[in-house]
Amino acid sequence: MAHLYVVQSADFLFLQNQTQMTPGNLSAHLSKLEDAGYVEVTKEFIERKPHTALALTRKGRAAFKEYRRKVKQFIEKLPE
Amino acid sequence: MVINEPNLKEIERRAYTSYHQDGLLDIFAGMYILGFGLGIFLDLILGFGFGVIIMPGCLIAMALPIWIAAKRKITIPRIGFVKFRTGGTTKLTAIFIGLMVVGLGVFSVFTLATVQGGSRRWLDLIFQNGMLIVGFGSLAVCLLFGYSMGLKRLYAYGVLSVIALVIGHFMDIFFAYILTALGITVMVAGVALLIGFVKKYPLQGDSAIAD
Repeated sequence: MAHLYVVQSADFLFLQNQTQMTPGNLSAHLSKLEDAGYVEVTKEFIERKPHTALALTRKGRAAFKEYRRKVKQFIEKLPE
Repeated sequence: MVINEPNLKEIERRAYTSYHQDGLLDIFAGMYILGFGLGIFLDLILGFGFGVIIMPGCLIAMALPIWIAAKRKITIPRIGFVKFRTGGTTKLTAIFIGLMVVGLGVFSVFTLATVQGGSRRWLDLIFQNGMLIVGFGSLAVCLLFGYSMGLKRLYAYGVLSVIALVIGHFMDIFFAYILTALGITVMVAGVALLIGFVKKYPLQGDSAIAD
């Protein structure tokens, strides 16, 4: 989600390169995020080739922001 | 156990720099510098105007469509397609245009003031120190773009330009020789990066793109 948070949209190959995950593993993650309504999948044709663009939905962005806030809060509460 | 907050700045920087690891930026920048250098030689043969105005203009007009086509054919099939958020780019463009406008404004005001006052010292000073001005100007542009795009090799190009042009100024080397050498150097660096990029990211075929 962090990788999608910093861009407007990206395709599967780009995410795979950035996360260094296997296609199967990444696909499973994305399916779960899509089911939760956090990721929007847009299929289009670029130069007559099928292309899948992935982007965080508004709900996904809000959820990630909340996650970051909670992690930050948790880390701050940890003893030195 | 290690708990880390996701470093978004680092992730964003990595995503952005991965898109410019293909060396295309260097090849086109080198080509443009080389075109400008060769243009000065053409000026000597064909007269003022062709080399320093028409040739770089043609290069700029040709470069963009070729750049987009090269990105589509070389970069995107290897590392995928990404649309970056426009905030950073807009800010960078605004800074760059702002600097250009301020620079041109200051230049025009000083030029008008000195020429109308009967003194051409300002213009003479610019022509006499042209290489130093271009050298330090290139350094500033390279530092600005290198910092905002997270491309550290642009710092090296900036330093290389300023060193070459300062040496050229003090050793009285013809400007076009330095531009040609700089252009070739940047292009060669770009080609080396492109070869590395193609080796690092081989084409995986359409099946790799899960739909």
